Amino acid sequence: MSIDQELREELRQVADSMHCPPDLYGRVQQSYQQYVNEKRGRSPMKKRLLAGIAAVAILIPSAVFASSYLADEIFGSVKTIEQHGGSQESYQEIEGMLQTAKSKLSEAEFKEFMELFKEMVQLKLKMTDEKGIKLEEKLTQEEKQRFEQLVSKLAPFFEKINGNAKP
Amino acid sequence: MNDKELRSWLEQATLGDESAFQLVYEATHQDVYRTVAFLVYDKQDVEDIVNEVYMRMWRSFHQYDANRPFRFWLHGITIHLVQDWKRKAWRRIRLFERNRQMACEPFNWTDKAFLQSEMQHELFGLVRQLSYKLRVVVILRYFHDYDLEEIADILQIPVGTVKSRHHRALHELRKRIEMTGGNEYVY
Repeated sequence: MSIDQELREELRQVADSMHCPPDLYGRVQQSYQQYVNEKRGRSPMKKRLLAGIAAVAILIPSAVFASSYLADEIFGSVKTIEQHGGSQESYQEIEGMLQTAKSKLSEAEFKEFMELFKEMVQLKLKMTDEKGIKLEEKLTQEEKQRFEQLVSKLAPFFEKINGNAKP
Repeated sequence: MNDKELRSWLEQATLGDESAFQLVYEATHQDVYRTVAFLVYDKQDVEDIVNEVYMRMWRSFHQYDANRPFRFWLHGITIHLVQDWKRKAWRRIRLFERNRQMACEPFNWTDKAFLQSEMQHELFGLVRQLSYKLRVVVILRYFHDYDLEEIADILQIPVGTVKSRHHRALHELRKRIEMTGGNEYVY
């Protein structure tokens, strides 16, 4: 028998006699639980997304701007958002993001994006009080689900916008 | 079970599905354990590393390239963590102490089954005496059946280096077989 075959055979035999200790399962499971708890239903993807949206949506703006702003399309009149604790700066940030979106996305994509984004912002406004504090329980179960849906639908758009904006 | 199933279970597991985690563990733990135990001799260390392998599995699932076999990815993680463990200086100090203990009490660090198999399997005993660098090539080549290019990929070293280590390992083994008197598989 060649040494190659002999090695194969012998390693296989030895491996068959080695058994992972059963109590190791408990330990690995514990580490797994820890991992799940850390994540608590938030995938890294979602986290990144929410961070991106946070920049836009948590700081709901309230400043007065000329009506040619794209952001006006989303928020309607300034008065609707004045009560949600935003600032002029964040309003401009959103405007910047929307301008980028307009230039990076195709016309059809931009239209879809604006619609989704608008709906998302409406929900966001609903759950944000006058100080800009987020209160998820203000939404119904259905609205929450819709919000999650919107977030994931918007994901590819944000990737495009952010990805191209900051290479 | 195939790669596709494993992959979707693993994905479920990373999302928090515990039964999927169990299935993944069931399907892989012996392989992971054996691979590590071939390379690291301290029982406690082997268990630590196996645990680490699973933690790494959840955390780096997003890096898994679906075009490559699942076990290739898994072995990559396993070997990487074994090498990591080897690199840690404080471990080395422990290893040094262990080696000293070994000199007095040759087998107190190994579990019984292992010891038994070592006595029954002379060639395996010789494999265990090889240096880590040579041994890891032998294990990947003859236990996991990877070719030299794949081994180079897993170990992240040039193929030429793998070739020479493979050659040296077999050379060492043959030499030791001769020394112990056996000659049936010298060539």
